[in-house]
Formats: sequence, C-alpha cells, structure tokens
Amino acid sequence: MNEYLSSGRLWRLCQKELRESLRDRRTLFTLILMPILVYPLLSMALQRLVIGSISKKEPESRYVIGIEDERAANELRHILDEVQKAREAGASPAIVVGRQTTSPGSRVSVVEEAQSSPSAQDSDVLVGFDIAGADRETLAAALRAGSIDIAIFKFEVEIVPLDRGEASAYTVEAEFRQNELRSESAMSELRRELQLMNDSQAEQIRKRFQPPWPVAMNFKAMGVGENLDAGASIAGVIPLVLILMTITGAVYPAIDLTAGERERGTMEALIATPAPRFILLLSKYVAVVSVAILTALANLFATWMTLSFGGLGQAIFGKQGVSIWTLVQILPLLAIFAAFFSAILLALCSFARSFKEAQAYLIPVMLLSLGPGLVVLLPNVEFTPLLGIVPLVNILLLSRDIMTGESALVPAFAAVFSTLIYACATLVVASRLFGAESATSGSQESWSDLLGRPKKLRLLPDLGELAIYLAVLFPVFFVASNLGGVFQLKGQWALVFNALLLFVLFLFAPLAFGWYRRLDLRSTFRLGDGVGSGEPLAKRGFRWLGYALSVLLLSLGLWMVAFEAYLMFESWSLASQLTEADKDKLKSDFLKVPFWLVLLTAAAAPAVAEEFFFRGFVLSAFRSKLAPFRSVLYTSILFGLFHVMAGSVLSLEKFLPTIILGIAIGFVAVRTGSLWPGILLHTLHNGLIFGMSRFEEADLAKWFGTDTKHIPIPWLCGGAIAIALGTGLLYFSSQRKKIHEDPV
Amino acid sequence: MIVAENLTKQFVVRGVPLVAVNNVSFRVASGEVYGLLGPNGAGKTTTLRMIMGLLEPDAGHVEIGGVRSCGNTNGLRKQLGLISTNDGVYPWLTVREMLLYFADLYVVEPEQARSRLQELANLLDIHRFLDQRCSTLSTGQKQRVTLARGLMHDPPVMLLDEPTRGLDVVGSQAIFRFIDLLKERGKVVLLSTHRLDEAERVCDRFGLLHRGNMQFEGTLSELQSMTGKPHLVDMFIALIDSPTNEVSPQA
Repeated sequence: MNEYLSSGRLWRLCQKELRESLRDRRTLFTLILMPILVYPLLSMALQRLVIGSISKKEPESRYVIGIEDERAANELRHILDEVQKAREAGASPAIVVGRQTTSPGSRVSVVEEAQSSPSAQDSDVLVGFDIAGADRETLAAALRAGSIDIAIFKFEVEIVPLDRGEASAYTVEAEFRQNELRSESAMSELRRELQLMNDSQAEQIRKRFQPPWPVAMNFKAMGVGENLDAGASIAGVIPLVLILMTITGAVYPAIDLTAGERERGTMEALIATPAPRFILLLSKYVAVVSVAILTALANLFATWMTLSFGGLGQAIFGKQGVSIWTLVQILPLLAIFAAFFSAILLALCSFARSFKEAQAYLIPVMLLSLGPGLVVLLPNVEFTPLLGIVPLVNILLLSRDIMTGESALVPAFAAVFSTLIYACATLVVASRLFGAESATSGSQESWSDLLGRPKKLRLLPDLGELAIYLAVLFPVFFVASNLGGVFQLKGQWALVFNALLLFVLFLFAPLAFGWYRRLDLRSTFRLGDGVGSGEPLAKRGFRWLGYALSVLLLSLGLWMVAFEAYLMFESWSLASQLTEADKDKLKSDFLKVPFWLVLLTAAAAPAVAEEFFFRGFVLSAFRSKLAPFRSVLYTSILFGLFHVMAGSVLSLEKFLPTIILGIAIGFVAVRTGSLWPGILLHTLHNGLIFGMSRFEEADLAKWFGTDTKHIPIPWLCGGAIAIALGTGLLYFSSQRKKIHEDPV
Repeated sequence: MIVAENLTKQFVVRGVPLVAVNNVSFRVASGEVYGLLGPNGAGKTTTLRMIMGLLEPDAGHVEIGGVRSCGNTNGLRKQLGLISTNDGVYPWLTVREMLLYFADLYVVEPEQARSRLQELANLLDIHRFLDQRCSTLSTGQKQRVTLARGLMHDPPVMLLDEPTRGLDVVGSQAIFRFIDLLKERGKVVLLSTHRLDEAERVCDRFGLLHRGNMQFEGTLSELQSMTGKPHLVDMFIALIDSPTNEVSPQA
C-alpha cells in the first residue's frame, strides 16, 4: 500500500481520473452549463412566488393612466399623492378639493412618452401611477395599443354644500382592457386608491357632527398562531438547490469512473494490477469529490449572481441581500456533503454492472434525498442536535442557519463530524464492492467479506471494520448520551446510567463485534498481561510492579497537565455560562452522591470501557496499517472528539486534555502491549480529577497557596518530574522484551 | 515459471454448489506457450483468476517464479501481465497517458516507464498516435495499445485470456506475432482459448479442460497418440461426446 501512497503516485492516479472526468463533455455540461441555465430560470420562478408573498416593496413598473384634460390630470395626481402621503403617515387622507395650486412634476401631455419615461418620483410607493394627458382619440388608441393601462374620459367634480361645511363629489368614468392582467390590476389599484378617498371623506364628515356620528361597525381583526417565516423557508430552498446541484455534478463522474470501467472493458485490466482496490477507489473518490466541489463552486457563484443581481437576495434576506461571505461559509459544508455523497454514489455505482444499471440505482437515491430535503422547507424546523446526525438533513439545516445567521454549535459539530464518519464508512463499503463482479462470480462474496463472519481468525481489525463500527457507534452514542436528559436522570442515577451506557457501547459491543468478525480478542484488545509468559515468575512480578509504579507516577503528573489544559479553554465550557446559583446547585447535587459511587461510575467504569474500545479496538485497527506513533495520535484524536460530543452539550474544553491523556495511555499500551496498565492509569487520572472537583475553589486556592485556580509552579515541576520518572520506569520495565504482546 | 497444483474452486449458484475447477494441475516453463483449452464454461477463466490471485482456491495453490501465492497476491501480480478478450481503452485519455497510468499501477518508476513506453512504441508501432486520444483510434490501433499496456511493467509471465475473440484475420495475426515475440523474449505464456485451430498453431503444450477437469495434458504429438485423433478439434468432439467424461456438479 505504501508504494502507492508515496512518491506522488497516488496524485498521478488521481490526475488520471480527474482528466478522464473533466475531458468528458457530459461532466462539463453539469459543471458549467447547468448552473448557467438553472439559476436564472429558478430565479424567475421564485421571483413570481417570493416577491408576491414576501416583498411587495416595489412594483416592477408603474401603471399609466391617460386622462383627457390637463387640469383634471393635475387634480387626479394631487388626489393620489395625498392618499399616498396619508397612507405613509398612517392617517386618513385629508384632501382639499379644488384648492391645489401646484402641479407636482407636471408632465408632458403626450401619452407615448409617458410610457417610455420611467417615473422619477419617490420609489417607496406601493403601487405607482404615472398620469398623462391627451385628447380623447389619442387616449382611446393608446388604451387599445397598451401604452396606457387606464383611460379616464370623464373627471368632474361638484361641490355639494352640507349643513356644516361642504363636500366634494367626483364623477369619474374610466376604461380599461378587459381580460388583460396588467390593465385589470391597474384598474383595481386605482379603484382601491379612490375608495380610500371616499372613506376619508366620510370620516371627515362624520367628525364634523358633535358628538360625531357613531361608526356603524368598529372592526378589528387579529391573526393568531405562529407567524410563518416565509423568508427562512425560502432560505432553505437555496441550500437544497445547491446540494442537489452538487450531487448532480458528482453523479456522472461517479458512474463513469466505476460502472464505466466495466462498460469500456478496462475493469479487468485494472483489478489485475497489484494496486489495492482501496487505492484505485480512493483516486476515483478524489476525482469525484473534486468535480462535485467544482460544481458546488460554479453553483455558488451562479447563486450569488442570481441573488445579487436578480433582486431575489433582497426579497429573501432583506435589504442587505446575501453576502458572498455567507456563500463562502457554505462552500466547506457543500464540500463535506460532497465527500459523503460521492462515497455513496461510488458504492452504488461500484455495485452496478453497467451504466444503465448504475443510473437505475441512482434515480431512487436522488429522489429519496429529496425527501429529507423537503423537511428543511417546512417553516420553523429547528436544527436540533438529534437532527445533526441525520445525513443530508443536517447539512441542509446547517446551511440554512448559516444563511440566516443563526447557527448553533452542538448540531453544527454533530453534523460535520457525523457526515465525515459516514463518508469514511461508505468509502470502505465502496472499495469492497468495486471490481468485485470482475473478480468473483457474484457480488455475494464481497458482501459477506464486509458484513459476514470471516472464515479465518485474524489478529487485528482492519481500518474498514473500524470505519463501519464508528459509523454505527457515533449516532447511537450521540442519541444514547442524550437519553439521560430525556429521562431526567439526576445525581447518582445519571452517573450509573452513563457508566452502563459506556459499558454497552464501548466494551460489550466491540467485544461482540470482534467475536463476530472472528478477531483474536486477546491481541485485538491487548488482553495479555504485558510481561510475557516465557520469563520466571519473579521477573514478571518485577515488571508488573514497574508498570504499576510508572502509571502511578504518570497519573500524578498527568492530571496537572490535563487540569491546566482544561483551564486554557475553560471559557468555552457551558459551565462558564451558568450563574453562580446554577453552579452551586450542580455542585451540591454532585456532592450528594457518595464518593465511592463517583469513583466507580465516573472514574473506573469509563476507564475500563473506553480503554477496551480506544486502546483496544481503535488502536489495533490503526496499528494494522500504521506505525505506532501515528496510530496513537489518531486514536487520541478520536478519543478527544468522542469526549467533546458526549451529552447534550459540546464540551470543546475537554478536547485538548483528553488528547493529552489519550497520547499518554496510548504510549503505555503500545509500550507494554497490554490494556491493563492503561486502565489503571486512566482510573487514577479520572479519580484524581474527580477528587479535586469535590473541593471548593477557595479551599483549592488555599491548598495551592495561590490566588488563582492555576496549579502553582512548584507543583507543576513536581508533576513534570513524576511524568519523566514514570516514562523512564516504563521504558526500563518493558525493556529487553523484543517481542511485545503488541501484535504488530 | 507457473506451477498450478490441484487447483479447486467451487461456487454456489442459486443455492446449488457447482465445482468450476476440479483438482487442476499444470506447469508452464519460461519461453513456453501453454494453451489452456476448453469450450465455454470449462473453467479456463476461473483458473486464470486463481493464478492472478483474484480468486482464492478452495484447495491447491499457485506458484509464480518459485513464490507460492498465499495471501501475497498483490506482490505476485507484478509478475503477471494480462491481455483479455474485451480489453478496452480510456476514450478521454491519450495513449501515452493511459500507458503511463498502468505503469504507475504496476509501481514502475516514472523514468523507467517513459523509456519502456518508447521501446514498446517502436516495437508495436504505436508511436504515431501516442498523443492521440484513445477514442480516435481504429480497432487495430486500440488492439496494439492494449498489447503495449500488458507489457508496460515487463512481466515475466503473460496471461492471454481469449485474446483473438471478435478479431478478424488481420487482428488475430497481430496477436500471433505478439505471442511469438513473447516467446522470443523468454516469457512464460499462458493462453486460454476455445479456438483450437489457433492454439494448434502457436502453443507448445496444451491442457484440455472440460467441466472443470483437466482431461488431457501434453504436447500435440502426445495428445495425438493418447487420443488417436489428428487434430485438437477432433479430440475435443470425441471428449464432449464421450459419456464417461461427464462430470456432474458435486454436492
């Protein structure tokens, strides 16, 4: 495998796949042409929907009214302006009839010009009218030709004296084009404006009486229920479209690079080469993901152009529109999604024997992915941590929240982490399926190879098994670790529940998986005593004593390192956002639990269960391919990530301390070849940390002899010496054993 | 040198076990062309796949160049070159890109791969279209590219699986010349075919497979004296018609 990973060979293999994809005009079509075609069309369709339902801020163009008499034109303009001003001020229009002296923006009385000269008046009017005067024949012709929307042939006013004051009575006769949307809407708008004027006059007259005439019907309507945020649900459409387009970009290369190999007759030659199938698939995967990301980029750019220059952005996201920065933030999400979906596509297409078969598999998958996609379109769907582990939905909701600027941390983290784990596991499945048909008489063997019980006993799990186990474990762990909160477990019951959960997921389940996959449990989980059986009893006892002493020394120093590392990121913790009263409550709840139970459930139980999984199963899987240092490092990163995700909160502050602990225990496990010293170290470490947490901060400060929470320098020096001595002793006691129990 | 010892492979087809290859043994020396012959479904391809390490035998083993294949199939595959019936090309790659790609898959160093490419281009007369996309090549040109592909890593052992199927006389002729060339270069050549007339022309020794069993093995004259038939075709017809040679699927 290494000869393919080094010396640029893998890159050259990826290049070949990329060349093949990018030179194919079918790929280029989805990559370039689709965004160019789809977005403007989509924009037009959405504008009709969106602007009608959300915006209503500015009409596309103003209606044109033609009127016979220039003086009447001025009067009508005045009336409409007054109505408009009153509406803006939120009051009834007070129209002074027949008294206006100015004619605002008096217009040229040629109808044809009125149509071609756009209004320079204030743009905030809801619907605007341009009014132009002309003689009767011109008006009639212009109305028929469509250059005006309404023609007014009669506009007369009569002042009617009343008992108190006077009132105006207008007679207006207008014509419009029947069955033509624009002219009809212009007419209904004008009718509405003039009706407002009627109402206003009635109101004024009513008020002149003392006491004022009562209003016949005082009517007020109130809407109940949630105010549906149409903007947010439309904001959900954009990620959905982007994701669907990204998928579309990946589909063709995925089919072509897998099922296409069969169809071209190159598959047999390919799998007859010594290149491991995982490498072959990895290079194809890189190419498919790259094309998907390129498609995502092209689509993001087209989206940005459409939103920015089509007016849609402002309609959905308000005046500021959508910034390119928001879209740049979505790109990594699309990339992560592309990583996941490309693996799925490759797995499906690897299973297919021909292009057609691959297409037949992909169509239902694409349709199925629309289902969860539609969830996002439902208004007020909240992005909960639980939805964070649901593939596709998680990335869609996260993109939507980023676009509307309200993303939450826990679900975001869960979404990214789970999607990457799913991608790894799917890629493993894909690599097993790829070329299987050419090698064997049926795909049964590859499936049983992956999921069945192997015939031969193996010393270590492989990375594929790890990826698949993690893909199942992570969502289960995530859901289960939230169950304590759901059942409202408190105090000791929460601790017991947590300990049981760890035992089931991290100890019993991996053991069962190891048994099922016919792994040598002793070597996989490092169950040996780490001192070798060929030595005299006294020597073995001496070694064990050395191990015990060295882990004791290590634990004395390590808790300080972990504690200081925790303090560095303490401000990130949820506890730092709690009030003092909440903290006291938590502390008193915790102190109510007997200390022996804390030690058993929070120190010893996690140590045993986590060691079985991380320094047993995970470390062994990495060791099957990698050197000890890298294996320990990767195991520790996973160890850290699982601690960050535990429970319903994101404990980022735990990441660094856990990694440090993980590296130390990993080192002990590799050096001794046994799980047991690590379990001891882990238990001691947890015990010390929990022991410390039972003291009041003030007591600790008194103890440390400092004002701050930090451990004093002399203590830290002592800790460093303990770590150095522990490391030396461990080296010494595990020395001269050429063959460790570590099976690699 | 290839040594196949008691190779056996059984498949389960719709719940019924079927022995595809039953206890097959043969050996092929350097500079020798061995014809693995048999009608369709005789077990030729299964045998080749076991030699390539794509299938694990249920019993028996394969040795290539004195190294027994036991789990180390990737290492052994570097020793093997494969030319198969429906070998295709990558339409969007140039001939040069495709050949260098296969050199990379066989872990040939880039510099060595380039000189090897030059050598093969002259040998197989493909240098004129080295930088042409494969989709623009004629059938004959594609065939020569495929032959070059099989030799990019200069394997000591060549496996040819029905290489002339679907080719016209000229195409088949090119394959024969290629086999002669391999022989000259001292390669171990294992040719699987059901074209018995062709096999008679190019092979030094033969193994006749029928329903997974090796029926006869030897040179043409040995087979003639064993069966009393002058040509491979006659031997085969007699073999297929003979009721005693029926091998029923084993349970």
